[in-house]
This record gives sequence, structure tokens and C-alpha cells, in this order.
Amino acid sequence: MFALLVYLFLIIPLIIITGAAFGTDEYLRFPPQGFSLKWLANIFEVEMFVRTFKISLEIAVLGTVLALLVGIPAAYGLSRYDFVGKNFLQGFFLSPVLVPGIVFGFSLLNFLIIKYEMPVYTSLLIGHTVIIMPYIIRVISSSLENFDYSIEEAAISLGASKVKTFFVIVLPNITSGVIAAFILAFINSFNNVPVSIFLTGPGISTLPIQMMSYVEYYFDPTIAALSVVLMVMTIILMFIIEKTLGLSYFAK
Amino acid sequence: MKKNVYVYLLLLPGLIILLLFLAAPLFSTVFRTFQGNEGLTLAKYIAFFKDSYNRGVYIRTLKLALLTTLIAVILGFPTSYYISRLSRRARGLYIIFAVFPLLTSPVVRSFSWMVILGKNGILNSILLKLNLIEEPLRLLYNEFSIVIGLVYLFLPLMIMSLVGVMENIDEDLIEAAESLGATRREVFIRVIFPLSIPGLIVGSVLVFTGSITAYTTPQLLGGSNTTVLATLIYQNAMSLFDWDTASVVATIMILTTVFVTFLINKLSSRLNA
Amino acid sequence: MALLSLKNISVAYGKNVVLKNLNLDVEKGELVSLLGPSGCGKTTTLRLIGGFVEAKNGRFVFNGKDYTKIPVHKRNFGFVFQNYALFPHLTVFDNVAFGLKQRNIPKNEIKKRVMEILETVGLKDYADRSPRELSGGQKQRVALARALVIQPDLLLLDEPLSNLDAKLRVKMRLEIRKIQQEYNITAIYVTHDQEECFSISDRVAVMNNGVIEQLDTPQKIYNLPRTEFVANFVGFENFIELELEAKERGGGGFYKLKNGQRFKVTHFNGREYERYVKGAIRPEEIDILNEGGGKETNTLKGIIGISTFLGKHYQYVVETEVGRLLVNGSAHKRYEKGERVTLYFPEDKIVLV
Ligand SMILES: Nc1ncnc2c1ncn2[C@@H]1O[C@H](COP(=O)(O)OP(=O)(O)OP(=O)(O)O)[C@@H](O)[C@H]1O
Ligand SMILES: [Mg+2]
Repeated sequence: MFALLVYLFLIIPLIIITGAAFGTDEYLRFPPQGFSLKWLANIFEVEMFVRTFKISLEIAVLGTVLALLVGIPAAYGLSRYDFVGKNFLQGFFLSPVLVPGIVFGFSLLNFLIIKYEMPVYTSLLIGHTVIIMPYIIRVISSSLENFDYSIEEAAISLGASKVKTFFVIVLPNITSGVIAAFILAFINSFNNVPVSIFLTGPGISTLPIQMMSYVEYYFDPTIAALSVVLMVMTIILMFIIEKTLGLSYFAK
Repeated sequence: MKKNVYVYLLLLPGLIILLLFLAAPLFSTVFRTFQGNEGLTLAKYIAFFKDSYNRGVYIRTLKLALLTTLIAVILGFPTSYYISRLSRRARGLYIIFAVFPLLTSPVVRSFSWMVILGKNGILNSILLKLNLIEEPLRLLYNEFSIVIGLVYLFLPLMIMSLVGVMENIDEDLIEAAESLGATRREVFIRVIFPLSIPGLIVGSVLVFTGSITAYTTPQLLGGSNTTVLATLIYQNAMSLFDWDTASVVATIMILTTVFVTFLINKLSSRLNA
Repeated sequence: MALLSLKNISVAYGKNVVLKNLNLDVEKGELVSLLGPSGCGKTTTLRLIGGFVEAKNGRFVFNGKDYTKIPVHKRNFGFVFQNYALFPHLTVFDNVAFGLKQRNIPKNEIKKRVMEILETVGLKDYADRSPRELSGGQKQRVALARALVIQPDLLLLDEPLSNLDAKLRVKMRLEIRKIQQEYNITAIYVTHDQEECFSISDRVAVMNNGVIEQLDTPQKIYNLPRTEFVANFVGFENFIELELEAKERGGGGFYKLKNGQRFKVTHFNGREYERYVKGAIRPEEIDILNEGGGKETNTLKGIIGISTFLGKHYQYVVETEVGRLLVNGSAHKRYEKGERVTLYFPEDKIVLV
């Protein structure tokens, strides 16, 4: 009973926001009056939303791909080998998740943009790549752990080199882990605020940042409509995670 | 497990990225706070804490984080216990509904509370309709709304941490305790609670440090006189262009999270010993 | 010259020395088993031969060449793993074909050889299945086929049957032995199941604590163990300290026990000229006589202690002047606790260790 109430607390706000997205009123009200899709349509009228959506998508995809390229070998090394300083390096690779985002974002602004005059877009991409890395390493490592090492040894004993074994035997068997890692990383990048907020510049901003500045000035249901779009996206991605990694992964 | 020097080659690209773009920027931020005209100094910290406004912000941040953690524990603990005793399928359903908010944009989640708590928001309209109040309450842009937003943000995290540990508590253990004459209450206090402590610790660390460092929620749900550390960093950096103070706040934030994590872990290992 | 020889091999994980100056020679076409308790280093020895583990000291010579530093994928050894290690994303056919593909063998040749070997292991009709759809025994056959199809110079098997049920184990070990002899493949077989080991091997290496205690035919290992460990491992439960008194012409001799009693021993196993030895004997080889029965030599007086019924016989703990002994007696007559008896130790059943 208590649990149900707590869950109502978790769910109701999201339902309310969904309801509010389809009202006809000029300002946010609940229950909404009437039903219309005009706020949904209005998202596309606000040019900044469309543009930042594209940037967010780009950064999330590029950042995730970069982090995968760097993170998969690292995860492989960390979970398959024994070496000096292993524990320390394991901690180091997971450390971005411990650093407060706001501190990291500010430091990047300071260091990359101001000190070394890096372009804003590049800095934004780098920042996202770094914060994504722990998710990649963690998910890939856990799928490697579920993949018996003796299978790799079998391939090697049959004459395949280590590199070939990785591509022909290991990779095909951890694809669901890679997909899950990709999605988890993608979501975290796409939703990120505290790092992105420092790494915006002329014409460069991300969707969550744009949404935040929008609600400071306007209080119409456009944001609610946009929220619904994002929630639908989350549901789709969650569905994929469930199919690949299993949502119980989060209870660890 | 094989020993091999080539493993460092696998780690190298990632290491370079993390050193150049994580360690170096953070170090530069922290380092500048100790830099004075002649050598290293704590002058900037002394100046920071001399300012009563800054002290207020720091204390408020800790206070709100503590409150959030407490509420999350109170709401999360019984809920997680309930979930952990459900069948696999039902548990899966509850987990889905906890993970969903977790993966939803924090902007969306904070915004939903703006809709609820706003002047023309739902809560006020309901209260007005019921004639419980004469005019809309000011529910938004204060500490109250920040705490609600933070609890809303982090409760799923607490639930997931607790469920993860609690679902491994064997049903037999509970039955064994009951067969030995323990009442439900005693079982809860003597068996379930002690066994759940690891999850409680992980959850509390996550929620507390998360609350200290959260930016989006206090920015959206807080007002001008409810500044917290995260928004203070932003103000100093982006509105006042006071990089030094921003760096000081950033360093304090890191130190505080590290210290709190350390403290809670120490406390738990003492509890276990 | 032996096909394979390990010369003074040592292996350590960190500070933990797992193999100590290990020596092993295996002849061509032989099946040699490594037998020993858990943790004694069987797998490590096998993995060293396979190339997965590096030796700290010593050399591994194969077919006259130094293989110590040759990487795994250039060795051409077939490896069969305990948990099968089939490639989960490939069909049975592709699993078996994997090694051949690495060797750039033409497609139709691959097809021919894979189908041939699948026929041999009785899985011709399963070529298109995925490993998931196979039973444990079938998986193990695929693993075997996969290791055999590359025509390996050496076949290495690490407890290949331990995940199967008892009946299937017996069936599979016969098949493995048949195929091994048919193909005349040299094989090293790790197991901790004595019966399995004895039934399948040409020779058995009993390992303990990182060294090979005895390398011999199964019959020799079973009947004439040379060390206390091996004796104990194959079921000699009684050890009596002996001191040599007089050698006999043609082997054997007279020994004195701690209590002055004399034993005659007529077994040969190379230990009979040492002064201080132990006489090992199985519980079922000791005869129980009424008190005072039997001859002067090879007997000991004892008092019956705890007894347990084991179906075929009773087993007694008998207190004697040289210590507690385990003795099996007929199921027809039960000696009571405290009864005084005389134990008789047949001279040809005592093994010196
Ligand atoms: N990767 C490793 N790192 C450290 N120690 C190891 C490793 N692998 C094995 N050992 C140790 O080496 C010793 C020998 O192990 P090995 O696997 O060869 O035993 P085994 O005879 O095959 O035993 P079992 O019958 O249980 O399979 C054991 O004490 C084990 O703990
Ligand atoms: Mg083993």
C-alpha cells in the first residue's frame, strides 16, 4: 500500500505532464481543457528546439561512438588481464561518474575553452565522451564476464590470432552488451545538463539546456509536449535495454 | 587471467583521454584555488568562508541534501522491501517504473514539478477548488520545492540500490527467524535491516552526493534566495565571471563529496566490525 | 625418443608455486592421464602444454623442437575444455570448421572433413544446429570433433566428461578411447575420476602438490603404488612403519615392526631395499582371525573398535600396538566391539612405500 503511494509519487508527475501537453490552453493547466496537438506541432515551430535537438543527437551519437572505440579495448584489458595497478586503473576508468558534473563542466570550460582556446563544439564532444566512458566500461565488462574466457582460448588453440579471436568470436557474442552500453551512454549524454551548460556558445547548445532557458521565460505547454516526445524516446530505448541487458541490471 | 604487458596498449587511448580531459582540467581548477601571489595559500578559502552568504549557501546545500537523503530512505526502504518480496514478474514491473524516471531527462522531471507546484499549478487549483485556501500558495522557488524535486530525482536510485541488496535476502532466513519465535517487527529489525545495510549505504551515498552536486533541479525549482553550491558555481562563473570563487566552490564540492563518501563507508565498516 | 617431454618445468601464479620441477615424457600414440586431487596442478600442466600458461623455468620439447615459447595458435594442438567452450554464435558445422578456416583450407575440403568427423562422433544430422540446442553429451562430441578435425599433433582434454551424468560418462570415455586409437592421436587427459582414468589410459601420472608422484600403467598404479600419497589415493588405507631386517634372494624380505613383530613382504616395486619404509595394505586384504590364530609372522593382535556396515562387508576400526587399522570383514559374521582378534597380513598384499 505504502509502496503503491510511493510509486504514485513517482509516476503521477509524468502523467500530469503528458496530460498538459495535449491541452488547448495558452498556459499550463491541469486538468487540461480540450484536446489538441498544437503544442506538439509548436515544438517544430521553435527553431532553437529543432536545432539543439540535432546537436544533442549528434553529440550523443559521436560521443558514444568515440567512447565505445576507446572503452571497449579498455574494458577488455581490464576484465581479461592481470597486471600491475589493475585496481587503480579500474577505479580511474570509472571515476568520471564520481566527479560532480557541474565541477567537470566548469573545469572543461576553464581548461579547454579559455586556456587552450578549443572550439566549443569539440569541447562539448570531449566532455560527453568522458562522462559516458564509465557506463561503457561497466556494461561491456559485465558482458565480458558472462562470456567464458575458455571460448576465446578454444579459438586461439584452433589457430586464430588474439586480434582475430576478438573480432570473430568475442565481439559477436557481446553485441547485446555493446548495444546496451550504447543506449545507456546515449541517454546519459542526451540528458546531460551540468557539463553541457558550460560548453555552449554562439549557435551551439543542447536540447536540455535550451529547454531550461525556455522555461525561464515562457510557461506554455510546448515544453510539456517536448517532454512527452523525450519520454517516448526513453521508452523505446528502455525497451531495447530490456531486450539486451535486462533492466534488472540497474538493481546492482 | 593472463599476464601481459600489451594490456597497457589496450588501455592507453582511454588513459590519454582521461588524463588530458578529466584529470588535467580538474587539477587545474583545484590548483588555482591554492595559488597566491607568493606560493600556495588558503587565502581564497578563508575569504570564501568569511562571507556569510557563502556560508549560508554551503549550509543550505548540506541541509537540503541531508533532508533529501532522509526522506528517500524513509520512502524507499519499505517500498524496496515490498518489491524485493514480490514474484520475479511483479518485481520486474516495479523496476521498470523505477528505472523509467531514472532515464528520463532531469529537465523534464523538474519541469513536471513546476507544473504541479506553480502558482496556477495543479496543487493550488485543487486546494482552491476544495476551498482549503483563499489564494494560491507559494510552493515553488523555495527550499521546499527543491527538496521535493531532489527526492523525486533520487528516490528511484535509492530504491534500485536497496532492491538490489534486499532481493538477495533469502526467504528461508526470514522463515527461520519466524520459526524461532521472532515477530514480524523483530524480523524486520533483527534480520532484514542489518542485511540491507550495504544497499542503504550505497543508496545514501548516491543520493547524498547527488543532492550536493545537483544543478538542474535547484536551478529550475529554486529561487534567487535558495542558491546551492552547484548554482553558486554557475553564477560565479557565468554571471560574475569570478573564476577563482567558482573554482573554490568547485573544490569544496569535490572535497565534500569525497569526505561524505569516505565517512559513510567508514561508518559502515565500523558497523560491520 | 619421447614425442613430448616436459623438462624441469616450474609454474607460479605470483608467489604461489603451482608446478615444481615437473618432468613428463609421453610417447607417440599414447593416452596419458593426469590424475590427482583438486588443486594439485593438473589443469596447469595441461595449459602449459597448450601454451596458455608460461613456465618460469624449464623446457617443453615436442617432436624434437623446443616449444617453450611457441604461441598457442601456432602449436596445432587440439584442446577440449571441461565446459565445452563451443562458440555460441556459430552452428555445429561452423564450430567444427573454425580451425580449418584458420588454416585457409578450400571450402569443399572443409565441408568434406567436417562432415567426416561429425559422422565419426555421430552428429552428422546436427550440423546446422546451434550449440544451445544440444545436450551435454552432444556438446562434448562437437568439442571433440572440433579439436580432432584440425588433425592435431596432440590432443589435450581437461576433465571433458565431468559435466555429464554417470552413464553418459562411461559411454563417452569408451568413444574417446576408440577415436583416439583409431586416429592414433597422442593425448593427455586430465581427470580426477580414478575409474575413468584407469579405463581409458595407457599410462597414468598421479600428481600431488605440483609434482608427478608416479607415472605408470593403470595396473601398476593400482597394484604397486610407489609412494604413500599414490597408495593412499588408490585406496590403501593402512600404513605400517617397517624396518628392513633381512633381504631375501629374488626380492622381498623380512621387516620388523615397531612392536617387534616380523612381517614378510614379497612384493617388488623398487622400494624393497630401503631400510625404513611403510607397508601399505588395503582394508579388504587383511584377514581377521580369532585371537591367537595364524602364524607367528605377518600377524598383529588387535581389539575391534567401531564397525560400519558397507553392504558387501563390515568395516572395522581395529586398535593394534602399531596404531589404528581399517579392516574389512565378511558380511556374514559381525565381531563385537571390544572383541580380541588377530589380524593376518598376506605377504604378497603388502606394498612398500
Ligand atoms: N589464474 C590463477 N591464478 C592464481 N592461482 C591459480 C590460477 N589458476 C590456478 N591457480 C592455483 O594453482 C593451483 C593448481 O591449479 P589447477 O587448476 O592446475 O588445479 P587442478 O589440479 O586442475 O584442480 P581441479 O581438479 O580442481 O581442476 C591451485 O592451487 C590454484 O589455486
Ligand atoms: Mg582443473
